[in-house]
Amino acid sequence: MKIYFKSIIIFCLIYLGSFSAFAKSNVVNIYVWTAYLPTEVAKQFTKETGIRVNVSEYDSNETMYAKLKASSDIGYDIVFPSSYFLRRMRQQNMLHTLDKDKLPNFHYLNPALLNKDFDPKNDYSIPYLASITGIVVNSDSIAPNSVLKWQDLWRKDFKNSLLILDDMREVFSMALLTLGYSINDTDPKHIEEAYLKLKSLLPNTKIFNSDVEQNIYVDEDAVIGMGWNGDINLSQADNPKLKFIYPKEGFVISIDCLAITKKAPHLENAYKFINFLMRPDIAKKISLEIGYPSPNLGAIKLMSKELQENPLFNPNEEILKRGQIQNDVDEVLPLYERYWELLKIGS
Amino acid sequence: MKKFTKQIYPSFVYLFLYLPILIVIIFSFNDASRSLIWKGFTLKWYFELFHDSGMLTVAAHSIIIGILAASLASSIGTITAVSLFRYRFFGKNLLHGLLFVMIVTPEIVIGISLLLLYSATNVPLGFWSLLLAHTTLCIPFAAITVYSRITSLDKSIFEAARDLGASDFVIFSKIIVPLLLPAIVAAWLLSFTLSLDDVITSYFVSGPGFAILPLKVYAMVRLGIKPEINALCTLLLIGTLLLVVAAQVALKKNEKVGE
Amino acid sequence: MGELDSGVGGYFAGMKNNSSFKKICVTVVWSWLFIFAMVPVLLTLITSFLTADSSSLVVFKPTLQNYTQLFNSAYLKILLQSLYLATSCTLLCLIIGYPFAFTIARSKSRHRALLLLLVMIPFWTSSLIRTYAIMALIKAKGILNTVLLAIGLIHHPLPILYSYSAVLLGCVYDLLPFMILPLYGNIEKLNPDLLEAAQDLGAGKIRTMVKVVFPLTMPGIIAGTLLVFLPAMTMFYIPVLLGGAKNLLLGNLIENQFLSANNWPMGAAISMLITVFMGAMILLYWRNAQSKDKQNLQELV
Repeated sequence: MKIYFKSIIIFCLIYLGSFSAFAKSNVVNIYVWTAYLPTEVAKQFTKETGIRVNVSEYDSNETMYAKLKASSDIGYDIVFPSSYFLRRMRQQNMLHTLDKDKLPNFHYLNPALLNKDFDPKNDYSIPYLASITGIVVNSDSIAPNSVLKWQDLWRKDFKNSLLILDDMREVFSMALLTLGYSINDTDPKHIEEAYLKLKSLLPNTKIFNSDVEQNIYVDEDAVIGMGWNGDINLSQADNPKLKFIYPKEGFVISIDCLAITKKAPHLENAYKFINFLMRPDIAKKISLEIGYPSPNLGAIKLMSKELQENPLFNPNEEILKRGQIQNDVDEVLPLYERYWELLKIGS
Repeated sequence: MKKFTKQIYPSFVYLFLYLPILIVIIFSFNDASRSLIWKGFTLKWYFELFHDSGMLTVAAHSIIIGILAASLASSIGTITAVSLFRYRFFGKNLLHGLLFVMIVTPEIVIGISLLLLYSATNVPLGFWSLLLAHTTLCIPFAAITVYSRITSLDKSIFEAARDLGASDFVIFSKIIVPLLLPAIVAAWLLSFTLSLDDVITSYFVSGPGFAILPLKVYAMVRLGIKPEINALCTLLLIGTLLLVVAAQVALKKNEKVGE
Repeated sequence: MGELDSGVGGYFAGMKNNSSFKKICVTVVWSWLFIFAMVPVLLTLITSFLTADSSSLVVFKPTLQNYTQLFNSAYLKILLQSLYLATSCTLLCLIIGYPFAFTIARSKSRHRALLLLLVMIPFWTSSLIRTYAIMALIKAKGILNTVLLAIGLIHHPLPILYSYSAVLLGCVYDLLPFMILPLYGNIEKLNPDLLEAAQDLGAGKIRTMVKVVFPLTMPGIIAGTLLVFLPAMTMFYIPVLLGGAKNLLLGNLIENQFLSANNWPMGAAISMLITVFMGAMILLYWRNAQSKDKQNLQELV
């Protein structure tokens, strides 16, 4: 009897599973970087519009891309790809072309961060937050003035002490910058040079990490290395000794974008949500909570004077000019991958 | 010597197992959001947890999936072990091999291939996709645990039962299952643990509408372990311990009534 | 578990048996495993022979390249490192787990369930969180170092975190119950009279252990070893979190191929190779064990 019962249960499971459980209810499905959308903001949106916000999270562009590739009608409406991934997804026809008429708050955005190579007319993407990769030092152990450029990380006295971001593009960009090349370089010779340069950095490397880099700096398990401005900005509350340096050779600016997926099941709600996120008061809330610079000029105007002038939080034109915007490297990506793997194997 | 093996040694192992848990509990009261170093006492993470109703729902989802997946997996694992042990059937060796392959296959491979399977057959991602994936993930573990006990059962019992005219089903339910019970319980516990803890496969087979705890935890880790999650774990742990104590008390009462 | 049953399974297998119960069991097991295990495995196998493509991930162009590329010293190094870690982890788990499982299996029967449950409860807290707790314990300014510095045992913090020992510690901690449970299931059903009999016959404690208990609990040891060794081979976030991601292991390699490199065929090929390699090792072991069993039997006779 028990066994019949079991078979029935199993049959039911399979049967029910084949049903479509997607209720056409009033929701919007967001697929976002982990902890990259304040819960308050989602709640406020629901309160104002009655649209429920379902949030799923991913921890890297690659995982998001892999999941969307494996199952394109998965049901996500809005995704948050970084600039270099946006281009790839746009070219592979994975994104919906935006109708700007449905996004009246678009005019608040900083023109300095619009119409970049990865999406020349912003037909597919809306900048959400910008992040900058620089050098982090703990001023207790290392004088911040003694480290001004990426090249300083190769110094002999930093043996087995650096935190290097566990992010292929960021790490290669650093090496390419010290060699005087573009961060989006596609010349195989330059990439090999960068690989050899990075290989000579291995003795200085203590940790590869990009998940909890702020945690490691706060607890002083590493006192120097690479870091993202937003993370360090927030971490200063827990460890005021942390200093962020914009390296002399230049640095990576990555724009995390909002985009609508090709098969978004709740298109209208997606537009409403994106427009909501561009409202100055909301954009300000996001920037303050997540810690990264806002591309929304309206939001910056609402901030205190002190915050407006904080170069870590709101890098001015002059600083932004020194950076390079991250873009896709297309067909040489496998080459980067191969060198990255060799680097991680330690040979 | 006897005392050492009977009491001191197990206590050390328990200490080893519980030390990190103790730290989780302690840090749920830590007044720092981005640090694993003690900064001061606070209760604010508990307040935040109750403020955030989403977290509790997510925890409930996980427990439901865990219980269902563990029950399914230990049932199927048991009949798998019994079939492998007692019967000769088509593809028996293949089944052996398959169980082995499932354990050795990295979770990410299982996750992605199940996702491909789901999207090919239009199974929506959510509760069912997760339950099916978790059950599948646990079956080989359950089957091996049960099988390792079944191999040394005294086989003359089955023979005797058969001679007395017992059907296969009676032998299974009246003899095999009771004899295997400790192993089945162990298999259930293992499966439940696996399901509660699975991040990678879950990541690929979960959908927009149904969030579960391991993924939420994984997400929060990016912020450097929010103490809120420590608070949640502490509460779950206390809940579990209370249940265990209650079960023990109930058992004792039963025993007394029995006497 | 391929041939665990050699020797004993044949007993019933030989019987003609076509009851409806058998049919239902076999059908349920087979249909479930076929759909949710066999099909995915086959998908992986097929993928491993296809070509990666940057725009549509995989294109249907059969190739052997994914496999031939794997035969170079860099990958061999990763394989050896992973084997080393998995072996040391399994041995440690066995050494810690066996006496422990033995003690709880021999404790008073009404305590056993509780003791076993107590082993499992810590593992109902997410392993990521527990890994972070271990980090809090062993980090430079962590609990262990603070205590040791305070009582004056050391003068500089021990750099345990982000080292190989930290990875090993994490693996053992995470996989210990997978050793304890099957061992417990096996030791628990040992007949105590048997042990007494052995001792009555003049066998010392150690001799009883080696000659009687170990062989009788071998199925448990094998099951536990499999459940620890196999997952340990493809573990990936423990090396990242506790080891600082400096030494790639097989798990990291596969993860990289699937996610960062977006090279699914290569990832599938690595996964398949691991499966074949491990399968071969286990088969080899069983061949050995079987012939030894026969020898023992002959000696007895």
